[in-house]
Amino acid sequence: MLQVKNIEKYYGSKNHVTKALDRVSFDVADGEFIAIMGASGSGKTTLLNCISTIDTVSSGDILLDRESIAELPAEELARFRREKLGFVFQDFNLLDTLTIEENIGLALSLNHDNPQSVKKKVDEVAQKLGISDVLSKFPYQVSGGQKQRAACGRAMVAGQSLLLADEPTGALDSKSSKNLLEIMTQMNKEMGATILMVTHDAYSASYARRVLFLKDGRIFNELLRGERGRAVFYHEILDVLALLGGDISDVI
Amino acid sequence: MTLSKLSLRNAKRQAGDYLVYFFTIVMVAALIYAFNGLIFSVEVQSLSKQMAQVPMMIVLASIVVVCIISWLVSYTTNFMLTRRSREFGLYVLIGLENRQVARLFFWENLIVGGCALVLGIFLGNFLFQVLRAIIFTLFGTPYYFSFFFSVKAIGLTLIYFVLIYLFAQLKSLRRIRRMKIYDLIYFDRQNEDAVIKTSSRRRKIFAASIIIGVLGTFLLMTDGMLFGIIGAGCIIVFLYGFFLSFASGVPAFFDKYPARKYQNRNLLVFRMLTSKLAAMGIIMATIALLFTACIISEGTGMIFRSILQNRAKPNSCFDLILSANDEKEETFKVCQNYILKNISVKDSRQYNIYLSDNDDMTDFVSSNTGYYRVYEYDPVMGKSDYDALRDMLGYPPVTLKEGQYLIHCQPYVEKVLKNWNQVISFGGEEFTLKEICTEDFAQHLYENSGNGFGFIVVVPDKVAEVCPISHVMYTVLTKEQVSEEQYNTLEQLLYNEWEHNGYDNTVFHSKAKEEADVAVMTAMMVFPLFYLALVLTMTAAVILTIQQLSETNHYKRQFELLRKLGMERREMSQALRNQFFIYYAMPAIPPVLIGVPFIVNLAGLVEPGIMVGGSHPAVIAGISLGLFFLIFGVYILLAYTSLKRNVLPD
Ligand SMILES: Nc1ncnc2c1ncn2[C@@H]1O[C@H](COP(=O)(O)OP(=O)(O)O)[C@@H](O)[C@H]1O
Ligand SMILES: [Mg+2]
Repeated sequence: MLQVKNIEKYYGSKNHVTKALDRVSFDVADGEFIAIMGASGSGKTTLLNCISTIDTVSSGDILLDRESIAELPAEELARFRREKLGFVFQDFNLLDTLTIEENIGLALSLNHDNPQSVKKKVDEVAQKLGISDVLSKFPYQVSGGQKQRAACGRAMVAGQSLLLADEPTGALDSKSSKNLLEIMTQMNKEMGATILMVTHDAYSASYARRVLFLKDGRIFNELLRGERGRAVFYHEILDVLALLGGDISDVI
Repeated sequence: MTLSKLSLRNAKRQAGDYLVYFFTIVMVAALIYAFNGLIFSVEVQSLSKQMAQVPMMIVLASIVVVCIISWLVSYTTNFMLTRRSREFGLYVLIGLENRQVARLFFWENLIVGGCALVLGIFLGNFLFQVLRAIIFTLFGTPYYFSFFFSVKAIGLTLIYFVLIYLFAQLKSLRRIRRMKIYDLIYFDRQNEDAVIKTSSRRRKIFAASIIIGVLGTFLLMTDGMLFGIIGAGCIIVFLYGFFLSFASGVPAFFDKYPARKYQNRNLLVFRMLTSKLAAMGIIMATIALLFTACIISEGTGMIFRSILQNRAKPNSCFDLILSANDEKEETFKVCQNYILKNISVKDSRQYNIYLSDNDDMTDFVSSNTGYYRVYEYDPVMGKSDYDALRDMLGYPPVTLKEGQYLIHCQPYVEKVLKNWNQVISFGGEEFTLKEICTEDFAQHLYENSGNGFGFIVVVPDKVAEVCPISHVMYTVLTKEQVSEEQYNTLEQLLYNEWEHNGYDNTVFHSKAKEEADVAVMTAMMVFPLFYLALVLTMTAAVILTIQQLSETNHYKRQFELLRKLGMERREMSQALRNQFFIYYAMPAIPPVLIGVPFIVNLAGLVEPGIMVGGSHPAVIAGISLGLFFLIFGVYILLAYTSLKRNVLPD
């Protein structure tokens, strides 16, 4: 569904240029769960931002369902974000004036969906994510894990086909992290959501079916889980990371 | 949840988070409405025909107010946009088009502005009652409370508000439409830099701006339009130069003297201030400019009022004064006949003012005060006329023996005449001074039409009668106030005579008219100046306060950490206070240094005997500053209590 073709991204002015992405190419098929790993500063966020249309590429092309997202007019772009894209940040990003329920349903209702069906969809998603009992609370009244699940809910309530997550477990404790990762796996398996998750944590990455390793803006390696168990995959990831060198401590 | 519902909710939050700002907009709406009320109140307008000139001045002042407030709204909107950029980024991310986000924000502001307008109009009614009471008192007309409601006043207020919001909103809407999602979400990555970077340039600009500032203040104090304009220009250059160089220089200063930095709580106070100051140079300068304008308009307003009132007061002992130096006295007689026929006279007297054969006393007085010479020779009056006038005015009688004279003068002349040699001669005969009287005696009328100017010499009748006549006076006490119509008729009579027979120096003066003039001029000049001053102070103070309160969460985290590190609450509150003091004092000091000399100097230009007592330059400067700091203080207090409550750990 997603093709990343030879993209490059530069930051900075004439005399001081940072190359954040360097000829990155890969394909994502429908229903995949991919983790993108790399040390801090390796370009993970930049890559995700380019795909999510938050940022633009300097060169190269990103095709979604064979359409280049760079060429989408503003209106189409908004629709694309609304209907196809779900985004989860490290730091939750819920609107603190809205309840959890309203946060999840916001995109739908702004989309002029029938209010009845919005309510139904939100309830359904909340049920799956196990946050039904906090729906009427405000973000500051619930835990980090619940907030992040709400963000996941928002990212998929409209039936978005692509979920982009930038270090979604970064601010969570290990129990909440595990819970969230299991939910994401479930979303991927049962609802067929395509997931692209950025992480620097091998444990989180081991939930994915495929792991891409980024180093200095380039794809350095790729690991497929295949039929192996999660624990085995976890150790394989650690091996690659060791090979990658650099700040192991930072990576783990 | 629809866009409009979301707007409504955001509006509620905005009014809460920016309560001080909301309160200011309400106050401004109230002020605009109250002044519009003066324009459209039939009752106020019918106080005098001259009141017809007042609306023009109020509209002019309102236009300036609209400009200032639309700048304030635009600035605050922009500020909110920046603070909430991540929120807006999120709207875009979940699929809203920029257009929709702009609409969302537009409605939010419209709701806030609308509520402020409605509340303001409600409050404005009370404010209008206050203004009405003042004007009625000035006219000496009895005042009754009556409910005021004017569709026209509301309409005009609405028009002003539409203008204010139109300007501010268009700007922010354009900004939202152009915003890139990346910039919104990662806004905090872009940090603001100091405007002037190198320290040598900063020092040069700092020194130059101080010199220009002093120069400008002096130029403002010289008379002459051109110098005044250049002076005002200098002040503007000074304020911007000063704040840009000084504000960005504070961090550099502490970097250079690290020992100072670690002294007491300096580090904390300094870090709280620098981030703001470095980014706020231009806004600080603008605020200082507004403050300067405010202090100057308050002072000018009060000087104006003192001049009007104190010039009229010495003459207000008589209800009517008619005078002529025309030998034929034709016009004089016509007017006098009209008065006798149409106005009920309680008491009156016709008499001559004479001139002595020298101007010794005039010379003496004018060389010792800023006395304005009206008579070529010292003015003189006969004792019997003087006695009659004293009796008419209810002053205690005075006696004069052979070879004595007395002086009746305004209080400021009395001070000078204490050093007068006190012996004068008439036709070879010498006279010694009996006493000096200083009651009000119509001695502040120009064009030789009063009982002398500033002073008059009183001598026995037989001595006065041989002197040449300066002019004939006819002074009247009436049973009722002279009406505007009667005044106009008299004026028309004079005018007709002039048209037929040429200018003949007949002068007519009415207390009622003079008082009405003072009232009208107060409504016309002083009210608008104070209106402006109020709006200027509130605008500047609210911007400072918004900046300060927007740091609430930041301070809170910082103080929580400091407490964990073992800092005492008392120390924290001290640091917060210090920071507060410096922050609010900075933009207020230059305006005080410019405004006070300006006011004192301006008051000094007025002729002597006017700016005395409650109108003394120092008093006026003091009241101007007092008023300014009163309003400013309200904002400081609001900000301080809010911060202290929300920031300091319990
Ligand atoms: N707005 C920016 N301006 C300049 N350089 C940037 C910007 N954003 C990211 N970079 C640089 O691009 C590189 C990749 O950053 P990023 O994608 O955030 O890394 P990661 O998410 O893997 O930690 C880093 O070297 C970073 O310093
Ligand atoms: Mg990152």
